[in-house]
Amino acid sequence: MSGQTPKRLLRLAPALAAVVVFAASCADNAPQTTLKPKGPKAETINDLINPIFGVAAVVFVLILGGALFVALKFRARDEDDYDAFPEQVHGNFKLEIGWTILPAVILGLVGVLTVVTIFDLAQKPDPKTAIQVEVIGQQWWWEYRYDVNRDGKFDDIITANNLVIPAGQEISLHIKSRDVIHSWWAPALNGKKDAVPGRTHPLTIQADKPGEYIGQCTEFCGLSHAEMRIKVVAITDQEFTSWMTDQQKPFVNPTGEAAVRGWSAMAGQCMSCHRINGMTDPGSAENPVDAAEIYKYKSVVNQVSGAAPNLTHFMSRDMFAGGKFNLRKNTPACTKLGYDWAKTKDGIKDCLNRTDLEAWLRNSPAQKAMKAGEVPSTNSRGMPNFNLTEDQIDDLVAFLITLK
Amino acid sequence: MSSTDGPLALGSGGQLSSPPMGVFARPGQSKGWRSWITTVDHKRIGILYGAAALFFFLIGGIEALLIRLQLAAPNGKLLSADLYNQVYTMHGTTMIFLVVMPIGAAFMNYLLPLQIGARDVAFPRLNALSFWVFLFGGVVLNSSWLLGGGADGGWFNYAPNSGVIFSPTHGIDFWNMGLLITGIASLLGAINLITTVLNMRAPGMTLMKMPVFTWMSLVTQFLLLFAIPVLTSAQFLLMFDRLFGAKFFDVSEGADPLLWEHLFWIFGHPEVYIMILPAFGVISEIIPVFARKPIFGYPFMVFSGIAIGFMGWGVWAHHMFASGIGPISVAAFSVSTMFIAVPTGVKILNWMATMWGGKLKFSAPMLYSIGLVTMFTIGGLSGVTHAVSPADTQQTDTYYIVAHFHYVLFGGALFGFIGGWYFWWPKAFGYALSDKLGKANFWLLLLGFNLTFGPMHILGLQGMPRRTYTYRDGYGFNLWNFVSTVGAFLIAISFLVFFWNIIASRRKAKVAGLVMSGDPWDSRSLEWMLPCPTPAHNFDVIPTVSTLDEFWHRKYGEDEAGRLVRIAATADVSQKGDATDVHLPSPSYWPIVLAFGLPWVAYGLIYSLWFCVLGAVCIIGAIYGWVMEPSTEPGGDHGDHDPHPSDASGDAAASIEGAALVD
Repeated sequence: MSGQTPKRLLRLAPALAAVVVFAASCADNAPQTTLKPKGPKAETINDLINPIFGVAAVVFVLILGGALFVALKFRARDEDDYDAFPEQVHGNFKLEIGWTILPAVILGLVGVLTVVTIFDLAQKPDPKTAIQVEVIGQQWWWEYRYDVNRDGKFDDIITANNLVIPAGQEISLHIKSRDVIHSWWAPALNGKKDAVPGRTHPLTIQADKPGEYIGQCTEFCGLSHAEMRIKVVAITDQEFTSWMTDQQKPFVNPTGEAAVRGWSAMAGQCMSCHRINGMTDPGSAENPVDAAEIYKYKSVVNQVSGAAPNLTHFMSRDMFAGGKFNLRKNTPACTKLGYDWAKTKDGIKDCLNRTDLEAWLRNSPAQKAMKAGEVPSTNSRGMPNFNLTEDQIDDLVAFLITLK
Repeated sequence: MSSTDGPLALGSGGQLSSPPMGVFARPGQSKGWRSWITTVDHKRIGILYGAAALFFFLIGGIEALLIRLQLAAPNGKLLSADLYNQVYTMHGTTMIFLVVMPIGAAFMNYLLPLQIGARDVAFPRLNALSFWVFLFGGVVLNSSWLLGGGADGGWFNYAPNSGVIFSPTHGIDFWNMGLLITGIASLLGAINLITTVLNMRAPGMTLMKMPVFTWMSLVTQFLLLFAIPVLTSAQFLLMFDRLFGAKFFDVSEGADPLLWEHLFWIFGHPEVYIMILPAFGVISEIIPVFARKPIFGYPFMVFSGIAIGFMGWGVWAHHMFASGIGPISVAAFSVSTMFIAVPTGVKILNWMATMWGGKLKFSAPMLYSIGLVTMFTIGGLSGVTHAVSPADTQQTDTYYIVAHFHYVLFGGALFGFIGGWYFWWPKAFGYALSDKLGKANFWLLLLGFNLTFGPMHILGLQGMPRRTYTYRDGYGFNLWNFVSTVGAFLIAISFLVFFWNIIASRRKAKVAGLVMSGDPWDSRSLEWMLPCPTPAHNFDVIPTVSTLDEFWHRKYGEDEAGRLVRIAATADVSQKGDATDVHLPSPSYWPIVLAFGLPWVAYGLIYSLWFCVLGAVCIIGAIYGWVMEPSTEPGGDHGDHDPHPSDASGDAAASIEGAALVD
């Protein structure tokens, strides 16, 4: 049996290696990590779990080390030794009580800390001052609706994919779904919260500093669950004020031949699902495409959303198609331009990810797994392939880049 | 035999010797495939369960390898999003319902009657029915692959994503029907085995003298008895929604999808213990044998198992910490979940204490048992970190969870079961698996297992969500996913070693013509006093039990210092396999015929109600045949006329219990 010794040590090696590398991996470039909180809520969670990870590590070493120790110390040396029986111990009442109570006490302490933290995290910020955002999940993108004027209606700013917030402030999210269950998660800011159709779930987030905090949908929601991305863009208070003003600016009629042609195409077909607030039909400036309603759904809760992202100020976002593709190129120079990239000089020229945008317009079902019907209907999700010509695609892009 | 001796005997005696009204005589084959499909022998049914589970394990394993290949590198292109969703759904469903549960059932079917000193289970035909129903349920579930694709909603199939609007193919219907059918099998098994353990123990075997495996199985069967109906009711709602246009989960009609989550997890959490408790039982049998010591703290082992069984009902919502159930519910379920770690910890420490001071021999079964103790501990520790619900809102639905439950169910349940295979293989098949290959199997598996699932802890904490068909470059996921895929193939290789071990050891035993001794490990419980392989009738004479580890204490006595001294040669206290004067339940055609009707009902509900008619005819016909068939095979003479065949070794009283076995 002595030949077993090195193998016995080997048995722990993978686990120990995992622990060592675990520590090392924290330093890795893992932008979606749960281990580096960037806001008070996520920090609260980390402050709770880190010592518990420590306790778990101690127990891990005790039990696995103990098993290794017992295995080595009490192994039968040979067949004769195996046949010489050890003392027949049937149990020990005191020990049993001890190792029932001790873990119970430790877990009780952990339990108290946990319960305190649960209620701490459940506290909502003052509704009078905190920014209120409705977060609506649907297959396979997120919509964000802001109640800027505090009238209780989330209709002042409607955007998608990027959740823009001011840094250093508590943001009150109201999480909903239009179809199946999704889960909204930006790990650096807080834990996840499910978006359940028919229910509204509160979640509070806060980013300590300006920056981009990524996440993704974490409740399985069908085909493109893997590509239902989240990006929280935290900016300064000042920037946020101007962002809000910009977002509420009305639609500006485009100029330029291609853009006008694209505008026309947009009004003709795309508006079955998409919306651009205040956009008028180019054929008759008096006849707004959607004057009466700003992006209204059939009912509060639809089994199938049948809707597509609101494209008002589309170029103020940095990703599209539920976050599967970058709208702003992912180069350091472009990333540096921030949320306002399209408004900078040469921003569109240098940083628009034209390739993916055109590919999307050319044949979107080939770009992202969706249940896109030939004609959008209650049973189809996602954008169908409209068999656009290259000229039409160019026109549409020319129009879209005016939506700054 | 006198038919009024036992509660299960026919009231009117043995006069049903000719087949009534056109019903077949009972089959009489004892060899060949027909003997297997008509068998009511609990041992053969156990083996059938194990073989079927291994077959489904191959399917589930291939699905696992497909998943790992897809995720080996970012932007994997092997599977489409649609196919990936089907594969991961079917992997989970298959491994849980068609692999781990039936492997548990295999052990329980094979061992429970042996461990309690009975000749069969209480209802042998019901036992056969339960296997065939399980098998056909598994076939219905997997036939989806040939009939338009598997279920694509995850093994949990959350509403409303499982509705017909969001999953218009029939995959989820097959999932639903398949599991409704296997649910029938689990319920039949639970009723049967609970009755067996409570009513058919050998004389003298009080509850607190039952082996720990028997105890854990009993708890498991009670969990099944109460948990399966919850799943069944949820599945009925889903079935009515999907097939008959009901609105149980239609949010626009006011439904709340959390109803499904609650129902599913009220089943789903006890289900975890249904899978792990039998494995706890298995290693509680193995460790004392290879430590040469009795199990430490037997009553604590028993009561911690019972405690887990009870507490398992009060923790389900820890699967729903992010679902928006509100802070009070979350707090309550956090605390209850933490405390379920206490009885589990008691078990871990008792196994360690059993080894402490022993003379440990690291044969393959022992290695797997220590593997369970250590790997399950890792899963248990990550489990406690989930109980800390604020942290769970970061962990849930990430790979950290995937790591956790694979440490529990693979490192826990499967390691224990594989150890059990090595341990009881001689008892079931009459030859031992090679210990050398068994060790190679173990170390490969341990390495592969940790390489596969260890890195998933890191992936999860780095924010990789589960159930995603792809991931991106630049998220820090690449290396660990690759390592995990390499590990998965090591696991596959380790199972090839296992299968090779079966073939090679069998061939070797045949060539050498070795006769396996009845007690190759110097073991403790009653099954080891029987020859290997177990004869069809189990016990020549039902033993009278006076202590826990009865067989051990017939071999060894303890002197004043607690030292063991041999008091009898093993051969002298073992049974010879002499079937004289033993009556066994006769085989029957009807269980498989009855079970065969169920898939037709399932297909009928999915495709055309005419199939249901076909299935109904089959089922009703089988019930008629079942009721009307003679109680014994024609012309069988089994010494029925001598109710007291033996009075050797003071076991005479037992023959009444044995005689009660009429089916």
